[in-house]
Amino acid sequence: MQGGSSGIGYGLKYQARCIADVKADTDHTSFITGTLSLKEENEVHLIRLSSGGTELICEGLFSHPNEIWDLASCPYDQRIFSTVFSSGESYGAAVWQIPELYGQLNSPQLERIAVLDAHACKIKCILWWPSGRHDKLVSIDDENLFLWSLDSSRKAAQVISKESAGMLHYLSGGAWDPHDVNAVASTCEWSIQFWDLRTMKKTNSIEHAHVRNVDYDTKKKHILVTAEDESGICIWDLRMPKVPIKELPGHTHWTWTVKCNPEYGLILSAGTDSSVNLWLASTSSDDDLTSESSPIESPTRRVDPLLNSYSDYEDSVYGLAWSSREPSIFASLSYDGRVVVESVKPYLSKK
Amino acid sequence: MAADDIPLDDKAKRMRDLLSSFYAPDPSTASNTSSKYVSLDAINTTSFDADQYMNLLAQKSNLEGLLQRHVEMAAEIKNLDTDLQMLVYENYNKFISATETIKRMKNNIVGMEANMEQLLKKILSVQSRSDGVNTSLFEKREHIEKLHRTRNLLRKVQFIYDLPTRLGKCIKSEAYADAVRFYTGAMPIFEAYGDSSFQDCKRASEEAMSIIIKNLQEKVCLDSESVQVRAEAVVLLKQLNFQVDSLKAKLLETLEKYLITLQLNSRAISTTSLDSDEPSKQGSSSDALPGTAHEASTREFVEAVRAYRLIFPDSEDQLNKLAQDLVTKHFESTQQQIRKQISSSDLLVILRVIWTDVLLMEEVLPDAALSDFSLEAAHVAVKQYVASTFSNLLLNVSDALTKVQTKQKEGAGEEYPLQVSLEGSKKAVIQGSMAILLDFRQLLDDNLGLLVKLRDFIIDWVQEGFQDFFGSLNDQFLSLSGKNHSISEHQGLTEGTQGEKFLAGLVLVLAQLSVFIEQSAIPRITEEIAASFSGGGVRGYENGPAFVPGEICRIFRSAGEKFLHLYINMRTQKISVLLRKRFTTPNWVKHKEPREVHMFVDLFLQELEAIRTEVKQILPQGLHRKHHRTDSNGSTTSSRSNPLRDDKITRSNTQRARSQLLESHLAKLFKQKMEIFTKVEYTQESVVTTVVKLCLKSLHEFVRLQTFNRSGLQQIQLDIQFLRVPLKEIVEDEAAIDFLLDEVIVSAAERCLDPIPLEPPILDKLIQAKLAKTKEQTAVSS
Repeated sequence: MQGGSSGIGYGLKYQARCIADVKADTDHTSFITGTLSLKEENEVHLIRLSSGGTELICEGLFSHPNEIWDLASCPYDQRIFSTVFSSGESYGAAVWQIPELYGQLNSPQLERIAVLDAHACKIKCILWWPSGRHDKLVSIDDENLFLWSLDSSRKAAQVISKESAGMLHYLSGGAWDPHDVNAVASTCEWSIQFWDLRTMKKTNSIEHAHVRNVDYDTKKKHILVTAEDESGICIWDLRMPKVPIKELPGHTHWTWTVKCNPEYGLILSAGTDSSVNLWLASTSSDDDLTSESSPIESPTRRVDPLLNSYSDYEDSVYGLAWSSREPSIFASLSYDGRVVVESVKPYLSKK
Repeated sequence: MAADDIPLDDKAKRMRDLLSSFYAPDPSTASNTSSKYVSLDAINTTSFDADQYMNLLAQKSNLEGLLQRHVEMAAEIKNLDTDLQMLVYENYNKFISATETIKRMKNNIVGMEANMEQLLKKILSVQSRSDGVNTSLFEKREHIEKLHRTRNLLRKVQFIYDLPTRLGKCIKSEAYADAVRFYTGAMPIFEAYGDSSFQDCKRASEEAMSIIIKNLQEKVCLDSESVQVRAEAVVLLKQLNFQVDSLKAKLLETLEKYLITLQLNSRAISTTSLDSDEPSKQGSSSDALPGTAHEASTREFVEAVRAYRLIFPDSEDQLNKLAQDLVTKHFESTQQQIRKQISSSDLLVILRVIWTDVLLMEEVLPDAALSDFSLEAAHVAVKQYVASTFSNLLLNVSDALTKVQTKQKEGAGEEYPLQVSLEGSKKAVIQGSMAILLDFRQLLDDNLGLLVKLRDFIIDWVQEGFQDFFGSLNDQFLSLSGKNHSISEHQGLTEGTQGEKFLAGLVLVLAQLSVFIEQSAIPRITEEIAASFSGGGVRGYENGPAFVPGEICRIFRSAGEKFLHLYINMRTQKISVLLRKRFTTPNWVKHKEPREVHMFVDLFLQELEAIRTEVKQILPQGLHRKHHRTDSNGSTTSSRSNPLRDDKITRSNTQRARSQLLESHLAKLFKQKMEIFTKVEYTQESVVTTVVKLCLKSLHEFVRLQTFNRSGLQQIQLDIQFLRVPLKEIVEDEAAIDFLLDEVIVSAAERCLDPIPLEPPILDKLIQAKLAKTKEQTAVSS
């Protein structure tokens, strides 16, 4: 596993947008991904990295009734995951369970645990309680934020509370704060909003345009990373929400998604310029200030924050996931349905 | 024989021992050896055993030997005996002579006592006689002494009584020195008896003295008197215990008055020299006149100081302070002038005047270290001058940049505002820098002593100044572009949204200006600096030269790229908002059949046109401009836009359409991956192409996020088809644009529930209608 383009590949049959790390699977490094095809029968693939780390094995292949726009794995049960799907004009969201005997069957049916059917608008994403066995879910649609209680034994989900983001805010996604389980960040066209789940009230917001994706730094509290169309990647300290503490150039076209590494100070970003960039996330603001204010000393000291750019993709990359079991491994998914698993080990020593 | 031998031997041995103890250096060692080594030779020791010796001798020697030994011994004994006798005799002789001497001494002493007694008697008689004389003369002498004293006293009294008249005479003859001498002589008496016996006399003389003092004071203050006379007068006054300090202060005051007039003079000079720049006044001659006038007044001042110094020799400190004050004031006014943005020639005039002043004063007051003092002050002043010049330059450049912007806001529209702005700021940078360099060269070339000493400093300052200037220029650019967060953060608190009002065009101007600075301004300035500002070195060699053109070039190169990207970003952002609106608002699944080309295309093209006009003003044309399409007006091209594609589209049933999509998929697989995002160059085409590419890519991505029905797909197909021609007109990379446009249609088809493309005749007809409409509109508007 050396060099820039030596990732392990795996092909999906159709176009795809989303991939997720199966966090609950502690024995294997596995990812789950779903296809996005308007006309064909969509599939959910459970992929496992072989023990040697040289191969991607398909552990399970399940048919999914509609094209999948968002997919998230349950953090405490490796067999449960959620999807957001659409068929033409209608949108839906559901929690699924992988059937027990998936080893033998080729394309068994997924067991639907619950349907999150309270939404009236276009559903954007589903967030699981960040860690531990909590049967709480947050789902975000264009205008609303729902908190669900999931009862997997009774196969039902109930809305605990709901809050509207306001008419003019078109929500586009969100993230659950791993440090404060009552806080959820959601993105909309002109700002990032922060919600307290106990009161379901907006606590804070950052006015910033065109945020596409948001992710909390799992290591450092108050640190948030956003991806946007033009200015690339911004790192924010939530205690100082006026100005980002650091800006990274991002991608030549839109920066679609960012993911913070759960272990090392790394940020991964994927963009519509068909590349995945690995960044060094040194969030100390002093470092940034000195490099800005004194260009005289910078050439020797300024470290290029871009550690590597993986550009061996045929199409825009929308899906990105770090493995929580092996934090030096990530999976990327380009629109043409190609999963590539890479290791960032060669770049860890450079820090 | 033995009997004879023993007593003799015994005696001889004692003698010998005594002798040997007397003469031998170390008798103990001799005795030790003898006791240990009994031999025939060891006869001369303390532990000599005669019996043993005899035995030994008898045993060892034969008769002859014994006899010989005997003879030897006898001879030795005899010798020793005579030696002994000799010694005794000699000692005895000495003793006898000593006794004789003592006897003679005894005889001589006997007569002395009588002589001594006689002497004592005589001395006593002499003493008694002298005592008699003394007593007889004592009374007379005392009388004489008393008389003498009285006479002296009488003389003094006489003198004191005469003092007033004498002083009056002295006043008449102006012999003040004598008068003072007399008066001071009489002073002790006046002090002692002034209140009683000599009251009148004292009063009269004091009156006289007050006249003298007055006269002296007048004399001191009178400028017409010679300096020596005045100095003498001061000395006399001092002798009279007169408080000269007040006089001193008075004189100093006059000097200070001088100073003020001088100060005024120098101000007059600077103002007139400033005025002389405007030809309406006295013309060029005015430049020289006040200078000489000023010099004359300085000379006067110097003379006064010289006199003062002679009069009050201990007043140097005050004078030094005075002179330093003058210099400080000079430089203060100079700094005020500098604040008024004077040219270096004016500065030179001022400095020259100051320096001549300083040199003149230095002659009089060498201790004041005026030249060093003024050097320091000049150091500060020139440094300030350099700094202010550079800050002015910076101001000018940013003014040139922002002037157009504000003008545009006011509505005074010029045809090429950006070009004007660019040219203006270019000019401001290059001509400003050249003017500055010329100015500083004037400073350097002048052989004024003050500046010669500062030359190295000036060189360093100029170099540092340029370095700092370009650094801050870069900062200024960044803040103008609103990119610099650290600045916008501070300003943001006070000015709010000020940072967002700037024009995208300004960013483009900044980009090109950065390139200009990097490519032509810096080399020229470097050349100029190398030609006339090399050296310096006060900074120390380890720091290297203050002006590092390479570094500045690097800064501006990266700044230029940054600005170019920023410009592209700003422009794309604007279009991106347009596209986002277009794609997120309608319900694409329920889209109606396309009737005409959607109006967002017009807006898109309008934006592109705006970019092109901006770019045309600022950036140069690309070197390899593609062949201009002469036949690109309207219908003909659009109808035969892409024969292959037209051919594909004619097969209009669903099945065919699907297979066609598959084809394009396959074609994509085998096609080489298109490099869409290439490096941006500083040319019109490159910038426009990059913007178009980014926008099309965004369009592509927006399409992928939607789900379309048949009409939606057809609408997009129509819009894209319409865009194809005008876009190709303005970009340099047609293949990439074609690729991206195809991608959009393919993606739309992929996201379409019922992908049946529009029939070409209808497509053509709708495009024709749109073209006709735009033509009509332009006709109406023009």
